[in-house]
Amino acid sequence: MMLLTCPNCGARNVSEFRYVGEAKSRPDPETATPEQWRRYLYFHRNPAGWISETWYHGSGCRRYFGIERNTVDNAQRSAAGTAGATS
Amino acid sequence: MSDIAAPIARTALSFPGPLRTVDGWETTARHATGGLRLTDLGPLVKLTVRGPADGSVRTALGTSFGRTARPRGGPLAGALVVGSGPGEWLVLGAPGTGGELLAGVGAIVADSGEFASVVDVTHGRALVRLTGEAAPLLLSKVCAIDLTDRVVPNGSAFRSSVARVVTDVVRDDRADGAARTRSYLLHCERSSGQYLADSLVDAGIEYGIEVGAAAADPI
Ligand SMILES: [Zn+2]
Repeated sequence: MMLLTCPNCGARNVSEFRYVGEAKSRPDPETATPEQWRRYLYFHRNPAGWISETWYHGSGCRRYFGIERNTVDNAQRSAAGTAGATS
Repeated sequence: MSDIAAPIARTALSFPGPLRTVDGWETTARHATGGLRLTDLGPLVKLTVRGPADGSVRTALGTSFGRTARPRGGPLAGALVVGSGPGEWLVLGAPGTGGELLAGVGAIVADSGEFASVVDVTHGRALVRLTGEAAPLLLSKVCAIDLTDRVVPNGSAFRSSVARVVTDVVRDDRADGAARTRSYLLHCERSSGQYLADSLVDAGIEYGIEVGAAAADPI
């Protein structure tokens, strides 16, 4: 079992969350080329180390939030300014 | 049309045995005499309120995420206000008080000038009360939250998975004179209510759980 720390609810079983994905900026659909759009949708960095992610706490506060997670050991730190935080 | 009986509302839960009617709601009439009991509180009025987490709606409701309040006066007197989420509240009132309570909370929302809403979900949710010293032991079988006093003291609330159902859990101990008995309110979507109640009864067999209300239980 993996614990994930929600900024609203605290540490919870990861089964309470939905993984949204790596937090990255969305290109402007008006000006992006098909190639850029395809990269945005389907290409991920998948680093071994720290990554900024968005998660959704569906079984708790029902909020999106950003977090930084180390993909090697699942260590977490809160991510100020990452995508998420919608109400 | 006078030969048509008054409409009956049914709570989300049905159990074998006799029925009784509470303010137009049909619910189980079973009595529980043991130390651990599951009581159907479906007829209680349930309102959900949403608005800014730190605005005047929050001030008027008197509580915020993770805590509860029982206003002594004002439009919400007698109701239980639960901070069920960030900027989200659940207001529970006695059966049949829906009109006044909705008007009272509606006025709070309207007067706040904030982007807020109140919705009556009385018929759309299931609500049970689990009372008894073994209640936290039972819940520990179906819920991963640490229920010790340090984490979930009396008067606190959280939302988590209970038997895999997203459930608002409110610790609201019963006071009988000087004695206090552990008690939790569990609130979920109506369509999951019977499953949640059955799961709690199943998990409670080893602690001697009974379905029904004790004589001392207010509905
Ligand atoms: Zn949360």
